[in-house]
Amino acid sequence: MKHFRSAAPLAWPPADSVGLRALGAFGVVGALCALAAALPPSPVRDDPKPQDEKQDGKGSEDGEKKEEAEKDRWFAAVGGDVFTGNGGVLRGATVLAKNGKIDQIGFDVDLPPETEVLDATGYRVYPGLVAISASTRVTQGGMMDGGDEEYAEACCSEFQDPSHVHEPEDADAPPEVAAGAAPEALPAPDEIDEIGESGAADEAKRKSSYEPNDLRDSYDPFAPYLILALATGITTAEQSGAAVKLKRGELEGVVLREKYLSTFSWTGAQAGKQALRKKFVDAAQYLRDYTAWEEVKEKDKEAKEPSKKDVDSKVLAVLQGRARAKFNANGAADLVGIARLAQDFGFRPVIEGCVEGWTVASELGRAGAAAIVTARTRRDKDEHLSRDGGSSIENAAVLHDHGVQVAIASGSTSFDMSGITGRDLLALAIEAGFAVRGGMSDEDALASITIVPARILGVEHRVGTLEVGKDCDLAITDGDLLHYQTLIHWTVVEGKVAYDKQKEIYFADIRPRAEAPAESDTDAAAEDGEPGANGETAGGD
Amino acid sequence: MVLTESMQMILSHTALAALGLALGAPAPVASGAPAPVAPGSSGPVAIRVGRAETASHGAIEHAVILVEGGKITAIGQDLEIARGIAIVDRPEWVAMPGLVHCWSRLGQDSDGGSALEPQIRASAELFAAQDVWKKLLEAGVTTLGLYPAGSGVPGQAVAVRPAGDTPQAMTVADPAYLMVYLSASSAAKKTLREGFDKADEYDEKVAKEKEKWEKEQEKKSKSKKDDKKDEKKEEEKKEEKKDSTAGRDGEDEKKDEKKEDAEVFVPPAPDEKAAPFVDWRAGRLRALVHIGKAADWLHLLDVLGEEEVEFDLRVPMRDDLDLYYVIDQLGERHVRVVCEPRITFMVNTRRERDLPAELAAAGAKVAFVPRIDSIDGCKTFAKQAGELVGWGLDREVALRALTLEPAAVLGLDERLGSLDVGKDANILFFDGDPLEAATELESVMLEGRFVTGPDSSSARGRPEHPATHSGGQ
Repeated sequence: MKHFRSAAPLAWPPADSVGLRALGAFGVVGALCALAAALPPSPVRDDPKPQDEKQDGKGSEDGEKKEEAEKDRWFAAVGGDVFTGNGGVLRGATVLAKNGKIDQIGFDVDLPPETEVLDATGYRVYPGLVAISASTRVTQGGMMDGGDEEYAEACCSEFQDPSHVHEPEDADAPPEVAAGAAPEALPAPDEIDEIGESGAADEAKRKSSYEPNDLRDSYDPFAPYLILALATGITTAEQSGAAVKLKRGELEGVVLREKYLSTFSWTGAQAGKQALRKKFVDAAQYLRDYTAWEEVKEKDKEAKEPSKKDVDSKVLAVLQGRARAKFNANGAADLVGIARLAQDFGFRPVIEGCVEGWTVASELGRAGAAAIVTARTRRDKDEHLSRDGGSSIENAAVLHDHGVQVAIASGSTSFDMSGITGRDLLALAIEAGFAVRGGMSDEDALASITIVPARILGVEHRVGTLEVGKDCDLAITDGDLLHYQTLIHWTVVEGKVAYDKQKEIYFADIRPRAEAPAESDTDAAAEDGEPGANGETAGGD
Repeated sequence: MVLTESMQMILSHTALAALGLALGAPAPVASGAPAPVAPGSSGPVAIRVGRAETASHGAIEHAVILVEGGKITAIGQDLEIARGIAIVDRPEWVAMPGLVHCWSRLGQDSDGGSALEPQIRASAELFAAQDVWKKLLEAGVTTLGLYPAGSGVPGQAVAVRPAGDTPQAMTVADPAYLMVYLSASSAAKKTLREGFDKADEYDEKVAKEKEKWEKEQEKKSKSKKDDKKDEKKEEEKKEEKKDSTAGRDGEDEKKDEKKEDAEVFVPPAPDEKAAPFVDWRAGRLRALVHIGKAADWLHLLDVLGEEEVEFDLRVPMRDDLDLYYVIDQLGERHVRVVCEPRITFMVNTRRERDLPAELAAAGAKVAFVPRIDSIDGCKTFAKQAGELVGWGLDREVALRALTLEPAAVLGLDERLGSLDVGKDANILFFDGDPLEAATELESVMLEGRFVTGPDSSSARGRPEHPATHSGGQ
């Protein structure tokens, strides 16, 4: 068989053999059938650039702008079956990107000259995957919440007590009762005003615009793990609560969003849970007092601004919508407790693990929870309890059916050369496939590794689906993304080919693409866009 | 090689001088014709070798190197040697410039911190009475760059000759370069940025003081209205400006001037941590930036931003060094890369990469350091470079990488590192190709004196040496 080739003569193929060819063949000018998908309303739209660029892209501004407009970088993936990630599938469509943002999706797209064209005919084009709870080892650092890492650690060590896994049912005791139990050992963070404002020194005189940023400063755009992530189709990854774009060969713009996920603990000892609830009570009270004070402060100069002193900055950020609370919990009782806490204080929790979620799915759905689920997790039922329990392959599907936003994470959060094969980040899409095995639809499973984790990380306005104005992050496969035999052939990050299977050392020898795509020869294979078809022809290796 | 006219002129001039010397100081001549003239004494010595690798302009067959006063005064093919000039006749020898090991901790013993300590000098640790210097010379290393220990910005390196009884006598250049460690981490990037910030602070301070001073001057000139004096002042100002380019060293003196004559603006002296960065920006000091992988290069550019400073890169050649990702960028900027002469592998594979050759091909400069910073490492230094020549590295590039390029790292490429007229006579003599494994180092000349080998002072105790006789036979 042709594909049983030795890995040794791994020549780097010339550009024309890998499907990138200059524009010319696609000169058909027709009605543009761009996907008229408006951007979803986003609470954190801190980057309004795409629209701006679209408007003044013709260079009607001053000279400097014109110059920039001339250097517009165009990229197009042409001819693939485009799975937009929000329901639409466009067979044989074109995704055109300008300066890394999707400009048009549709058929008969008129490509500007000098567009870098990737011929994806016969391949599938998916949104780049978003790896939640990942540790890609591409970067390090990053703070959990407001830079208060020490505090977060103190909380965890204080609360986690493995001997109290099965807590009594009255986990949600009224805060008045719990008030006395608030552990005083917890350090009270005073600098809650400082969030997001640190290091804003006067930079006018500086020759460098360098600003310290742990995530960016430890980012390695050449790391082997980065290539592995891209080989999996992952283009965005979580790093300690922040979202990192996996750019290759550059540092600019790798941090999509910082410090959005804020970790809380709702497991173990009762005292810890009560203390946490107390913090929510205090923070909510502070917010009410503050609102009341704002109303009267104009008239009543004597009115005192409420003190932030005893208010937990993390909790406050959650209640104000600046951060999203994430819990690690698996037991049904814990999950219900979190759901109640969320409902009481009006925030939407993210629950990682959520193994017994299927038993309390309606409660979680009502609380507007998002769940980070590993479909293949195995956990035995607690036989002391008469209710349902333990893990279920149907967990993701049941949660989704009850209105819980389900994100899928792989069993191991990093790339493992040892450990359990097929459970690391390399198998992220396969993990989603297992959710399908449990009853989830293909579409929802795709969402669970793209747009849902993007929402959890607060970057759904940038990544997660293929829509005009969003980042052009593509995973281009030779078959169904969720099928275990499918290979990623190209990964595109912001309109740049960041991974090309034939050019990297890892998978180039497995089902190599036909070199020198002479039209007549490849047509048959290219037309064969049947999901998994390529996989089957190459089966047996 | 064709003997250029200018070279002939130099030779004849030198020969005349030598002749004059011989006539004026008849002592060695009077004692009889083939009496050994002490090579390395103040008089000129001509060394006739089978071949000289100049490192700067290729090899010279049947070369004659004329050394006088510690410098090379002439070099060329089959130059005529004037009567009276001592000759070391070694047609079987191959000469090359002394090895320059620009990144060493040999003979040093201390730990450094990881903070911003650019003011620390490696020369402060220098200890002359050590055996290691002699061994280094025997290994062919005639110039050594000693870097300060630590990480972050640990201080400034010193260039030494491995000979001399005191640290002062050993020092060739101090400081040689500013050592900077940069890696993909906020801590390292912040430390470097902090240094530039200190220089910024200093610049601001100078600007403020100058403004203040100018205002005072205006006031004075208005009140005095003494035109003549003003003219004088302006002249002084001009002089002052000229002086200020001369560097910081003059500033202390200027301060004294200020006390006497407050009408000349004197910039305040930068504090000890700001000074090296001020010098680096002004081009008075180079830096050697240590990076560990390709990503660090991008992080370095990230910190430097618009900063226009000169630096070389120190990149340890780890097995899985991924520098090939940025070689194009390094080549474009003609960066000098200080690395070990060795073959590396592509990450996660056993596929070899010849990074030094790739760097050279891309347009970057390569300076070698021994694989191991030890005497043994120095002994096999040239052979390791030879191995890479076997892999396809250009021979001239390899020779330069052992001599001239590391000299440039130390800021000494104008003074040593090649066999050129006017340069220090640091010359190694091999019994064959210096890059061949079986070749032996026969003799070492340091600044015009044979320090090892048959013509060295220790060997010269014997009454007559067959290879040494006066010229003009």
